[in-house]
Amino acid sequence: MAARLNIHTIAMWLLPALFLAVYLAPLLGVFGWSVSRPEPGAENYVRMLTDADALNIMLRTARVCILVTGISVLLAYLMAYHWVFGSPARKLFMELCIFIPFWISVLIRAFGWVVILRNKGILNETLLSIGAITEPLTLVRTELSVILGMVHFLVPFAVFPIASVMRQIDSRVLLASRGMGANPAFTFWNVFLPLTIPGVLASVIIVFVFALGFFITPAILGGGKIVMIAEYIYIQMFQTSNWGFGAALSIGVLAVVAAMAGLLFRVIRPERLVK
Amino acid sequence: MNNFQRDCCELLAERFRNGKLDRRGFLTGLVALGAATVAAPGARAAGQELVVVNWGGDAIDAYSAAFAEAYEAATGNKLKIDGSGPLEGSMKTQFESNSVRWDVCDAEPYSAIRLGREGMMEKIDYSIVDRSKIEPGFDGEFYVPSYFYSNVITYDAARFGDDAPSTWGDFWNMEKYPGKRTLYKWMTGVLEAALLADGVAPAELYPLDVDRALAKIEVLKPHIVSFWSSGAESQQLLRDGEASMGLLWHTRANLTKQDTEGEVDWTFDQGLVSPSGWTVIKGNPAGLKAAMEFIALAQNPDNQVTLLNELGNGPANPAAHALVSEEMKPVDASSKENLERQIVLQAEWYADHYGTALDKYLALVSS
Repeated sequence: MAARLNIHTIAMWLLPALFLAVYLAPLLGVFGWSVSRPEPGAENYVRMLTDADALNIMLRTARVCILVTGISVLLAYLMAYHWVFGSPARKLFMELCIFIPFWISVLIRAFGWVVILRNKGILNETLLSIGAITEPLTLVRTELSVILGMVHFLVPFAVFPIASVMRQIDSRVLLASRGMGANPAFTFWNVFLPLTIPGVLASVIIVFVFALGFFITPAILGGGKIVMIAEYIYIQMFQTSNWGFGAALSIGVLAVVAAMAGLLFRVIRPERLVK
Repeated sequence: MNNFQRDCCELLAERFRNGKLDRRGFLTGLVALGAATVAAPGARAAGQELVVVNWGGDAIDAYSAAFAEAYEAATGNKLKIDGSGPLEGSMKTQFESNSVRWDVCDAEPYSAIRLGREGMMEKIDYSIVDRSKIEPGFDGEFYVPSYFYSNVITYDAARFGDDAPSTWGDFWNMEKYPGKRTLYKWMTGVLEAALLADGVAPAELYPLDVDRALAKIEVLKPHIVSFWSSGAESQQLLRDGEASMGLLWHTRANLTKQDTEGEVDWTFDQGLVSPSGWTVIKGNPAGLKAAMEFIALAQNPDNQVTLLNELGNGPANPAAHALVSEEMKPVDASSKENLERQIVLQAEWYADHYGTALDKYLALVSS
């Protein structure tokens, strides 16, 4: 009995110890860099908030992430609706749309978009051959193609929390609304939508946090022109060896992510989503 | 940072797979890249290991398998290839954490200079490395050229062949040479190209006027389809006609010319040429002497000519140019004749300004 208790106690402490060793310690190291390199002080943070070039990259990252989040969640809402309330055939179709992309690597998907969107790509060739356009459209290597690629990757992640909340809605509430004379549009806006808001918020936060860390997709589909914060941090670490500044940027991103996570726990109960 | 070396290993592996290159040529090419070696002068303590780091890719397994044994037989030492790439940040990490794993790095000369100044790199020992086997003027304190490559004007010859562009001024001339352009995402050569296009004389390029260069790049920006970041991407842009002109590595430019049977062409005129450099981090595991002996070994002209034949990399040892075939002479980036047409990138300037200039350049590129 005593031995079992010991093992139990060790196991209890192992997880926090592991967390400290592999997560918190390096994190403190990174924070240490951000206030000690090249000189001790808050200089890196000052630069982060005042350097026009760095601010531009942060603004672009924010804009792309907000757009991607908006589009992804909107699409996910529609997909989740059909997945939860659709006919069996439609449900199956939605499941394929959600799960098949999961099995294809992010790299392959990015190159797939290049193949479709480039000048001699499938889309342009098709449009040219049917005479819809006379000159190939510039589709790839633009912010548009980056957003497309990111949305493609992130939609499935946005579907789950929304679908989970939709599944928990008591259909009798909707029936009651209809029974009291509300038309479908009124029922949707005033009953159904408010009930799904926790799922939507969870989606927004999950997709935004994911989008913030995107590296490969903007690098491939952006034609080098869409440098986002993750790549910028990589550049500071490996190309220009500005470790202090890179560390400060990392801490900045972490702060945003932490704030979003805090919000997630405040406005909704995450455990509800996985029921 | 130096994606060029990575590109070379990829190209070799690709040619080998496609059957354009026999096993012997493949292996010799890898030797010359420092990816492998067959013989080393002098005997060292048996069982020692020498780690050479380059930009690897597909070639790693093949040459490790093929050469580890031969190297061991010749020297009694094991040879290990690390393909993880000596990025400046990675070299710095190893030095600072006191865990240097690489004996010889094939890195950017400006990285070697910058880290050298911070006391992280070994000085080259010219009693072992032969100064006379280095292109004059390139015997660095902290690096030795491994080979030369150039950033050249590459263009759609089907379109502009009759009156081909030959200056960066032509590259910026959208009226005479319409169509999209592509430039290198990691900046080297691009600032020089912009300043030359803006009328700066080659002799007065350095120190680079970064703001003036960026202003000139901004003018061209609406016409830039992509800032390429890999050699394969640059080739695709020209081959598919997405760009009518580009700043490409001459090796990729030449491959595109072969692939398109001359529909894409290129020139060494105003090419921006640079060596890649062998460099050694302080405290390398096999010791300074072993590292220097490897560098001396890599100066062999025969290997360097093989590298030129297979990839187009210009020899670092001037004696090699005499062994170059007539057919390959136009591709030889570091021959006297071709060097005269080009402008040498100044590693010293990059050592001082790379970080700040790249930050500004990327801000412009991504705005």
